[in-house]
Amino acid sequence: MSESSDLLRDYPLLAGPDEMFDRDGTVRAKYAQLASRLGRWSLDEYHARQAAADLDQLNGGVTFTVYQDDAGTERIFPFSLIPRVIDAEEWARLEAGLVQRVSALNRFLADVYTEQRCVRDGVVPVDVLGQSEGFNLRAVGFVPSLGVYAHIAGIDLIRDREGTYRVLEDNLRTPSGVSYVLENRRTMLNAVPDLFPAGSVAPVDDYPDRLLEMLIAVRPSSVSAEETRAVILTPGSQNSAYFEHSFLARQMGIELVEGRDLIVHDQRVYLRATTGLERVHVIYRRVDDDFLDPVAFRADSALGVAGLVDAYRSGQVTIVNAIGNGIADDKVVYRFIPDVIRYFLGEEPIIPNVDTWVGSQPADLAHMIEHLGDLVVKPANGSGGYGIVIGPQSTAAEIEEARDRVRRNPSGYIAQPLQEFSTIPTFNGTRLEPRRADLRPFVVTGASSWVLPGGLTRVASDPTSYIVNSSQGGGSKDTWVLRQGWEA
Amino acid sequence: MLSRVAENLYWLGRYLERAENMARIAAVNYKASVEEHADDEDEAMLWDALVRAIGTQAAYAEARAVSPNLAPGEWLIFSRENPGSLRSTIARARGLARELREHISREVFEEINLLYLASNEADSTHGLRPYTATVQRGVAATFGLYDNTVLYDEGREWFRCGMYIERADMTSRTIDAKYYMLLPSLADVDGPLDRYRWLAILRSASAHEAFRKRYRGSIRGQRVAELLILDSSFPRSLRFCVSALGRHFGLATSGAPRMHSLPVTRELAILDLDLGSTGIAEIMRTGLHEFLGEFQGRINRVHNSTMSDILRALPASMP
Repeated sequence: MSESSDLLRDYPLLAGPDEMFDRDGTVRAKYAQLASRLGRWSLDEYHARQAAADLDQLNGGVTFTVYQDDAGTERIFPFSLIPRVIDAEEWARLEAGLVQRVSALNRFLADVYTEQRCVRDGVVPVDVLGQSEGFNLRAVGFVPSLGVYAHIAGIDLIRDREGTYRVLEDNLRTPSGVSYVLENRRTMLNAVPDLFPAGSVAPVDDYPDRLLEMLIAVRPSSVSAEETRAVILTPGSQNSAYFEHSFLARQMGIELVEGRDLIVHDQRVYLRATTGLERVHVIYRRVDDDFLDPVAFRADSALGVAGLVDAYRSGQVTIVNAIGNGIADDKVVYRFIPDVIRYFLGEEPIIPNVDTWVGSQPADLAHMIEHLGDLVVKPANGSGGYGIVIGPQSTAAEIEEARDRVRRNPSGYIAQPLQEFSTIPTFNGTRLEPRRADLRPFVVTGASSWVLPGGLTRVASDPTSYIVNSSQGGGSKDTWVLRQGWEA
Repeated sequence: MLSRVAENLYWLGRYLERAENMARIAAVNYKASVEEHADDEDEAMLWDALVRAIGTQAAYAEARAVSPNLAPGEWLIFSRENPGSLRSTIARARGLARELREHISREVFEEINLLYLASNEADSTHGLRPYTATVQRGVAATFGLYDNTVLYDEGREWFRCGMYIERADMTSRTIDAKYYMLLPSLADVDGPLDRYRWLAILRSASAHEAFRKRYRGSIRGQRVAELLILDSSFPRSLRFCVSALGRHFGLATSGAPRMHSLPVTRELAILDLDLGSTGIAEIMRTGLHEFLGEFQGRINRVHNSTMSDILRALPASMP
């Protein structure tokens, strides 16, 4: 790169690698053209563009709901103009790795709920499955249409200190975030069209079409593609991801329904329409398993449709994603997914896991106890960052206390090394500073798998933070997958 | 179309129309209170008309009991505590629009969202006018965008039904509230009433220019009533609203089971005939207030049967 404005100078690096700058502070080849365009901007220009982008999202209602806040219950995601850039070669490998992983996970789910060969052959210990909250009895003995369970998978990736992409976690139930990918791109094209290298960034707006194609592909065998009626089932407008539910319905041109809009009769599902009842064949649900059907699951749920699970198991309606997927994106089961890939596909995993030790396995437990001061310890069945002990940042007493807790309830914990994952430059109001970022690509699987180029890039709220969740003030960025042939 | 979606579109039309009417009436009141140097009692009376027009007398009396200094304008327009205030009405319309995003265009949603964002910022420091003007423009833009960017399908017909039933209701309440307030006894109907106040009524219904085109000569009560009730080409008159409502209702329910839609269809047709075959002199003879009261009752029945027989009807039988 040739020119460099104040914005790009003296960029402070953290312990992990940076996506834009290498260790010497030189701009990496994949960012070269972007940097030279950005380098021409003054601080004022940057502020003006950021304001335009924020206004675009606010006016468009691109918001998420904050539960604890009464007054303004909707907020926009903090949005950062500097995208994550992935070059064509990197992406080809990621794409292959994601398809491989989802394919193995689908085989695994089909096996867990039918023959359990992988248990008999010692790939996944039986106690691991037995202790998981994700194992769902209502899924046993039923194989859904085309054998697909994880129709939409959001696989969270990070890039470690060595620059290797690793899977941080699998989201196979109702992964969200794809609407932000599409809206972020729209905002970028509105606010900073001049940053785009013409014709070199893979488009993302065919996602809704791919999604609809998949929904039709997994329809019950008794109905033709033309007759198939698909709907999205939402918990309602108070849900934090309602914008996304509505966005996808709009983009696919299908109905967005709530539980009270559906009726099950004689194992068939119907919509309550002004003209009478209309048959529904595929339900893309954004409601958790527990709230799908008050008859099958929680009787206190006001969200569900009585008799829905019965209709599902009779094959009269397809539910996307399938019921019971929680067993495959469980934190403990995760530890065994590389072996699951080897077992079902006979291949080495293309994208490795983060090293993980689980307390229920004696050898893992010994390692956890011995190295706890160097590890991050997490509860096996928790979420939202509760109960996490970060060894390298804890006192000797805290580590000893954590050790005790793990000894008392080994199967309740897992441990991983602290990940110094990669950062992406983010404007903080006066200059660029590094923020840790993860990447959630989306894999859509019907008759075959398709990966949305890129995915949702989430960034931490400040340079010291390792947490990228929107509930913790994290923001998002556009993600660019470069096509072949774009050179610096 | 999903019953819940149809109902939400119907309410979206109602709330937007209500907001626009409230803004217009409030602007006229405000103008009157500024120009006439009205004393407190006069001003209270002006606002009272709006309280009546929205039908929230009880809630207002209650709020006044708690805080006696509560300004009626503040309560009706800006209050967040009053679920019927203009600000709350806009918020409700926007909440519905958010739930209806896949049924309305991006343009329509953005216009309503912009109105809502502006409405959140609005306060009374610069008086009512900037806010009421924003609301009037925002609602007009929304209706225009709706006509030009949304499919002319069943949903659009329900939206229009909501808009026209609300308009019929608001126009009749506006005439009633103002007439009743200004004319304590029926004997005064053709009396020498302050022409300025008749003008205010016309302005409250956006009818001043229409009146001038329709009638030569001075503004007289009976003519104002004739324009606002019976004129088939004035888009806010009761007759216009009823006949538009009948048309949109017919289109909205063309696919619905006939046994469900028949009672409302019949009620609307009879109402339309009644308005078409009566004269203003006859209405004045029976009593304007009585006439308007009956009209509101009939419009209410249309609303209630639309809800119970169609939008919230339980499936008649399983297929």
